Amino acid sequence: MWRATRRFSIFVCSEQGISMIKEFIESVGRYCLFLKMVFRKPEKWRIFWRQLLVESEKLILSSVLLVCVISLFIGGVLVIQIASNIENPFIDRMNVGYMLREILILEFCSTIVALILAGKMGSNISSEIGSMRITDQIDAMDMMGVNSAGFLVLPKIVSATLLSPLLMLLSLAFGLLGGWVVVSLTGIIGPNQYIEGIKYCYNGFYVIYSGFKMALFCFLISSIASFKGYYAKGGSLGVGTASTQAIVTISILILLFDLIVTQLMLY
Amino acid sequence: MIKVEHLYKSFGNTPILQDISIEYLPGKCNMVIGASGSGKTVLLKTLIGLYEPDSGSIWYGTEDLASMTYDQKKKLRQRIGMLFQASALFDFATVIDNIMFPMDFCTSWSRRQKIERARFCLDRVNVRDSDHKYPNELSGGMQKRVGIARAIALNPEFLFCDEPNSGLDPYTSSLIDELISEITKEYNMTTVINTHDMNSIRTIGDNIGFICNGRLLWQGDSGGISSAECPELRKFLRIQ
Ligand SMILES: Nc1ncnc2c1ncn2[C@@H]1O[C@H](COP(=O)(O)OP(=O)(O)O)[C@@H](O)[C@H]1O
Ligand SMILES: [Mg+2]
Repeated sequence: MWRATRRFSIFVCSEQGISMIKEFIESVGRYCLFLKMVFRKPEKWRIFWRQLLVESEKLILSSVLLVCVISLFIGGVLVIQIASNIENPFIDRMNVGYMLREILILEFCSTIVALILAGKMGSNISSEIGSMRITDQIDAMDMMGVNSAGFLVLPKIVSATLLSPLLMLLSLAFGLLGGWVVVSLTGIIGPNQYIEGIKYCYNGFYVIYSGFKMALFCFLISSIASFKGYYAKGGSLGVGTASTQAIVTISILILLFDLIVTQLMLY
Repeated sequence: MIKVEHLYKSFGNTPILQDISIEYLPGKCNMVIGASGSGKTVLLKTLIGLYEPDSGSIWYGTEDLASMTYDQKKKLRQRIGMLFQASALFDFATVIDNIMFPMDFCTSWSRRQKIERARFCLDRVNVRDSDHKYPNELSGGMQKRVGIARAIALNPEFLFCDEPNSGLDPYTSSLIDELISEITKEYNMTTVINTHDMNSIRTIGDNIGFICNGRLLWQGDSGGISSAECPELRKFLRIQ
């Protein structure tokens, strides 16, 4: 442990380490400036609302099917796994439903679904904006006196952040439905026991906590993917690099913020 | 009128533009010529404020570009039309929506007025019956025309064209040249054109600046270009 710490501190003080840290701080700064540009007052509210509808359809509505299918299957699988792990006759079978609900609400419906959306939404956003950047379309917008960041990015961030908690609720509903389908098809536990378990010790705050996490994660997804795309350079290869970097950064940040938010809200 | 004084621009440690001073007059096709990679696009993008110059000043009439606030710059840009090298039409919009895009943001016209103006611009550049096509369904020449139509949509005082005829056949490119020249004279615009096409230099060049490795080496009109003394320019012309 001591050795590792020493090695780490030597690396941090080396030239390479310092330049890495510098780069990191620089990109955080640029990200903040970018957000400042995005959150300028829209030039025309009518255009903003129209774009908001377009983006909601593109980012949220088009993810509904994916989220439903994944939740349905994971819900079913989890029920089988949980049931096969508590064969003990002293544990009430109702706990299968209870545990499924807790897993879904606390972690799956927000964090895991957000990680899946990071791939879908993130690559969609960063490649769209990145290809507009490298074909000068963003410069063309700026040249018309339009705030390109505001026009392109603000509707994406707003719709992703505000509407994603609905995806989380949808995922919860379909996860529970998946569990119920498996329960009623296989009869591992009685359907009534399952329903009872789902209702057992229900804590509404957990849903709020999960919805909040989802909104936060989708804010990260939309803003970072936009940021990477907006500053993409180097032709179509650069667009590819930008969207890869965006998704890696987003995934790490989602896990990090999951830890922080959980510590802050649940402990 | 646009006036550039002692303009310097570099990327990192590589100097791209060095000590450029030039003046562009209204109603004239001002040309910037030079080999590929000589810094023409960078000059154009610096002129319109997409890149920050390292030093030097750019005057639009009596306004200094460097001392403008964000809102003033936005106002100025609404008086500028720009045709990009690759047209830069918006993929997400049809031809007519592309042309109405600047109007949506910068005017409070009714939809009918906007469509009327867009039709007028499209007519002016001889694009008809393509209102509802998307840019990727158009040929290169058509894209350029639509790009010009979009650039003149708000009746700009200044028109910038980055290689308006690169990648086009000689016939289409001379049509585009004529079009730009006509529009310039018709609306008394200050037009700046980047090109390395000898034909357009001869036919529509009113005021020509030759750039080599980021330096302005020669300036004059199309009559004087063949008798110019500058050795780099002679080399450039012979290669053509
Ligand atoms: N964004 C940029 N970053 C770094 N170098 C650039 C950038 N844009 C252009 N350059 C460099 O500036 C030089 C001039 O490019 P450009 O103005 O595009 O030439 P052209 O005269 O063909 O339009 C080239 O050597 C190019 O490598
Ligand atoms: Mg160029």
